[in-house]
Amino acid sequence: MKRMLTWMALALMVLAMGGCGGEKKDDKAAGAAKEIKVGGIIDLSGPTSSVGAPYAEGVKAGAAYLNSKGGVAGMTINLDVQDDAYNVQQGLSIYKKFAQDKVVAIQGFGTAVTEALTRTAAKDEIPYFSASYSAHLTDPKTAPYNFFTSADYSTQIRAALKYFKDNWKEQRKPRLALLYPDHPYGLAPIPAAKEYAAELGFELVGEATVDLKAIDATTQLLPLKDKKPDFVWTGGTTPSTAVILKDAKKIGLKATFFTNIWGTDENLIKMAGEASEGVVSLQAAAVYGQDVPGMKMILEASKNQPQMTHYVRGFVSMLVMGEGIRLAAAKGPVTGPGIKAALETLKDYDTQGLAPSVSYLPDDHRPSMAVFLYKVTGGKLAFLAQETLERKAQWLGK
Amino acid sequence: MRGHCGLFFESYRAEAAVFPSRFQRVSLGLFAAALLLCPLALSGYAMSVLNLILIAVIGAVSLNLLTGVCGQISLGHGAFIGVGAYAAAQASLHGAPFLAALLLGGLAAALAGMVFGVPSLRLKGIYLAIATLAAQLILEYVFLHWESVTGGSRGLLVNAPRIFGYAFDSEHKQFYLLFAITSLCLLCVTNVLRSRHGRAFVSIRDFYLSAEIAGVNLFATKLAAFGLSSFLAGVAGGLWAHYTMFVSAEQFNIGLSVSYLAMIIIGGLGSVTGSVMGAAFMTLLPEFLNAGSSALSGVLPGIGGQIVALREGVFGLVLVLFLIFEPEGLANRWRLIKAYWKLYPFAH
Repeated sequence: MKRMLTWMALALMVLAMGGCGGEKKDDKAAGAAKEIKVGGIIDLSGPTSSVGAPYAEGVKAGAAYLNSKGGVAGMTINLDVQDDAYNVQQGLSIYKKFAQDKVVAIQGFGTAVTEALTRTAAKDEIPYFSASYSAHLTDPKTAPYNFFTSADYSTQIRAALKYFKDNWKEQRKPRLALLYPDHPYGLAPIPAAKEYAAELGFELVGEATVDLKAIDATTQLLPLKDKKPDFVWTGGTTPSTAVILKDAKKIGLKATFFTNIWGTDENLIKMAGEASEGVVSLQAAAVYGQDVPGMKMILEASKNQPQMTHYVRGFVSMLVMGEGIRLAAAKGPVTGPGIKAALETLKDYDTQGLAPSVSYLPDDHRPSMAVFLYKVTGGKLAFLAQETLERKAQWLGK
Repeated sequence: MRGHCGLFFESYRAEAAVFPSRFQRVSLGLFAAALLLCPLALSGYAMSVLNLILIAVIGAVSLNLLTGVCGQISLGHGAFIGVGAYAAAQASLHGAPFLAALLLGGLAAALAGMVFGVPSLRLKGIYLAIATLAAQLILEYVFLHWESVTGGSRGLLVNAPRIFGYAFDSEHKQFYLLFAITSLCLLCVTNVLRSRHGRAFVSIRDFYLSAEIAGVNLFATKLAAFGLSSFLAGVAGGLWAHYTMFVSAEQFNIGLSVSYLAMIIIGGLGSVTGSVMGAAFMTLLPEFLNAGSSALSGVLPGIGGQIVALREGVFGLVLVLFLIFEPEGLANRWRLIKAYWKLYPFAH
């Protein structure tokens, strides 16, 4: 009997909480005058949070930086970042909340949620910036409202192959091996890599899958060792890349390992230690403290606290979105379609060296064809080169 | 039922009625009417949560039919939902009308479910769990690699549902569609439970040997349970595909299977009402935790990071507490609450 009452009291409390939530929204709407609402759907918890959290900090710092400089076209950006925990359902309901609150644009993050929202964002006409750089999101025919600021996964791997080929001195063909997780994110650039490698004259000597949660990669690496690859692509995230690097060192596999954008960051060097030395990393943003003009903004925004490269990338993503909002505001009221149209006029937007310059076209959302190559030297990410590819029409979305 | 005090039956038929009392009929009718009026009062966000609950209800009730009623544990339910989603998406991409696509999705999932249900003849309990886990992994692999059908890592784009030219393109319109289909599925499962097949399912769960001695064909019945359950799962998948308008392999991972198992355990094994409650609970819990954590971080700024981490812990904690204090699920608690009010205020 007493227990029954406790339960009923609990139920009442839950109902009351729901009621409170409803009331609060009305207060918020009243205070919105010269304010632009931007939503954030980023993985702050869950399997990708180790990169999602610094990225979110960068996005927030970008908004705070824009606001501290007088806002965008006189309006302040009201950024609300929510955690989707890399879960499609949660991402979906956060998105619906944002759509109802009439955000003009969204800063998203992971592949699963971004792709699940592609159609919905297009229907609701909300520009969706993501940190999922799958090439098919750059084709406005299928993803008209999707934008991102980094070269896509396929362009990244193509740029690296081009760089290696251009710097290849020996007579024989360079030997290439591909290691990647059996996961949409890992599989995405593989067809592009194979096609372009064949075109450039690489010899593909091996291919294997290494799981994102792998704790051992010797089974995959031992057969590779006999084939003596010169270059090994590792298309996972930092934990699996660290496993591969350490195991390669253990069995004495000597090759130039190159990783995609999520495969190397400041954490990899901590995880893999000396084994990470010499790894070539493909990036789309400067590392903290690099000597580029835009670093002043980062130092100011981060109050001189060292940040990961994901932070810089989040910051750039917000800058580009801010530029889109500014251009849209110059033409009329700031709306989703207005921002989209404005972004599609963006030509060589200068991020002051924080990232390759960004352009979008109405029929081509590839932000840039340039990729930053870094090499782990002395336990630090050292800038190696910027490789810029031709904007070929047949590569769009592939 | 002639008297007006208490509930008693004079025939088996009356006892097995779907709605045994008038009070139940009236209150259920009122509940349905209230739900149907929701779109007039609620915002887009609230409607989207309701829609997610409705889809989850179909998935949960179908798993409950297999695991709760027939006793065949399945860790591959998420993948069966995926089969339905891909099949329905492909069917509607090839020009099939929405309802036909939904049925095709269900049939494809039923076929997959029956194929992977074959080991259930020889395997029980934890062994069957592992066999169905294998189904989950195999199907996930197929989703990712059968590119011509599933779109591989790019996924499939689907259009919003459309019936006889009428497009269900907003949350509010989709609610009515989902509500109708979910009610239909719930009625279907409730009626199956009252039938000869339903009783055969229960007899297998209680003790397979007695069931066989009583004349139940174990293999056919178990396969039927797998087929029917997967059919409904496929319908849920088809609805999910048309609701989100995008299907990709990541959506149907082992996590989805586990969360459906959690729904039916929390709701109450073997109970249709329990499935509904469990689905609603599991869909609402993260929403409440989200609202709570953002309210808290509004009051105490600067601890946002910790709250996010805490929220995951709270989610697990709530589930564990449920298993300890409500081992028979929400459905049983609901029964007890009803029993309490039946005698109110003259409780013993």
